[in-house]
Amino acid sequence: MNPMIRKELRQRMRERRGWLLPSLYLVVLGAVVTFAYFLSTSERGASGIQGSTVGVVLFLTLAYSQLGLLLLLVPIFSAGSITIEKEQRTLSGLLTSLLTSGQIWWGKFVSSLLFVLLLLVTSLPVLSMAFAFGGVGPWEVFSATLTTVIILASMSAIGLYCSSAFQRSVHATAVTYATVVAISVVTAILFFVRMAMYETGHRGQAVATGGGWYQIPLDIRVPMYLNPFFFLTASFAPPGQLYPAWITSACVFIALGVLAVVLTLRNLRRRGDL
Amino acid sequence: MIDVERLSKSFNGTRALDGFTLHVGAGELFGLVGPNGAGKTTLMKVLSTLLPMDSGTAQIDGLNVNQQTREVKRLIGYLPDQPGVYQDMSVREFLEFFADAFQLKGARNRAAVDRALKRSGLVDRSEASVEQLSFGMKQRLVLAKTLLHDPKVLLLDEPATGLDPLARIELREQLKQLQAEGITILISSHILSDLEDICTQIALIGEGRNATDAEGHSVLQLRAPQDPVRIYEIELIGDSAPAVNIVNSIAGARTLESSAGRLVAEITGADEQAAALLRALVVAGVNILRFDHRALGLEERYRMVFREKRP
Repeated sequence: MNPMIRKELRQRMRERRGWLLPSLYLVVLGAVVTFAYFLSTSERGASGIQGSTVGVVLFLTLAYSQLGLLLLLVPIFSAGSITIEKEQRTLSGLLTSLLTSGQIWWGKFVSSLLFVLLLLVTSLPVLSMAFAFGGVGPWEVFSATLTTVIILASMSAIGLYCSSAFQRSVHATAVTYATVVAISVVTAILFFVRMAMYETGHRGQAVATGGGWYQIPLDIRVPMYLNPFFFLTASFAPPGQLYPAWITSACVFIALGVLAVVLTLRNLRRRGDL
Repeated sequence: MIDVERLSKSFNGTRALDGFTLHVGAGELFGLVGPNGAGKTTLMKVLSTLLPMDSGTAQIDGLNVNQQTREVKRLIGYLPDQPGVYQDMSVREFLEFFADAFQLKGARNRAAVDRALKRSGLVDRSEASVEQLSFGMKQRLVLAKTLLHDPKVLLLDEPATGLDPLARIELREQLKQLQAEGITILISSHILSDLEDICTQIALIGEGRNATDAEGHSVLQLRAPQDPVRIYEIELIGDSAPAVNIVNSIAGARTLESSAGRLVAEITGADEQAAALLRALVVAGVNILRFDHRALGLEERYRMVFREKRP
């Protein structure tokens, strides 16, 4: 086993946040699902509601809120990983040992991602509530989970890049959060503003925006392929509708992650700013 | 063992090393001194493979530090100027991790850790948290970690900084012991008395270049068997002018300083020259109270080299 992974996991589980964050995470997730349940059942009398509808509402609420929460947590685990070694002056010890830059990166990446995956796993009991109501199949759960893992892995890689590029954890974390906001919020704003302008410009013409995602011009659609919530939405769509969009988003996130890995390894090999 | 030839390294246009040259023989305990910003830490980082050099060559045991980094890492133990520790690990876990990082597995890992614990005197504290150790103990722990993989060369950057006098004495003794075991040690320090006590030679570095003393030496020999130039301090009763004249009339002797009742003379040659000077002074009726050979200390030599260069 890579010594870095063993060290990182041991240190992470000794931190207070090792048990505090999963607990808080479950409390928040439980509250969101409970709120969604009451909201979906209070509109009509309990007798007039299909169980599968409640199941779908709970599942979607859980999937989006889980992604939102984990996107908020990823920078905490990844962005401080390498800067902490700089701050406590242990990075030179690692770099002059026989550990390669790749091993150091892999140890940091696996430990930060495993912790986020631990949160994903702990949310399974909450997710099982949606199963109890029906309307959601194993495929939806699988594709949503796979999509969430791809997004989180990519964001962890970006967090690690920021951690290798900055000297202080606070700076690396701030820039990682800025990246999260840019891809989650700014891309959506950009899309909706351009979409509104497009619709205004083509009023009266046969603008088939309601006809499907692919009727929208590509240059307007492009920012959304970077948006994690769109990526997750694409994973719910029946095959043939948004499936190509899911593939495109997956490629974009994987490419971003790979680029972040390459840049991080380059920074670690440069070592100039120890 | 360590061969550095015309080494240069710049940071954003500022030259930290500017054609520095150094040769350290196998088994030597070699010092490196210079003012702050002289390039000592940069040199240590280049030699420890942490920084790539811009030009020149640097070899350790014939291996190029820029190209054969992995092989060089097996050979060296590097102690940075402010070494860090993992506060949340136990002493044993800390050593086990780094033994693992040097690919020491199983029984070899345990043996290396046990040896390091004995070497650092931390056997009784092996299960204690690193956080609970004193500064001196942490420094011993980091040095022990540096020795886990039995390096042939030790690169120590200001290892005594912040240590109390007792810890400094222990460090000096440990370094002498390591040298006796055949390890080549390059050590930089501002604590000149420590270097004077343990080093055989000391290189002078200033503004990234080899600095030289008045005689043009860039490496000071501290254990020279017979230093040809000796300094004598003479205390006498009355005016020192007649004594100054006598000193200057003796072949190979000259007056360096003189004041009422005191003069400092430099004598080049064997002990007989000093005896001849003393005899001449006594015969001339100079009332001598003290005639002392004064070794020129490292501190004084350092001051002579770097004093004029201080802004």
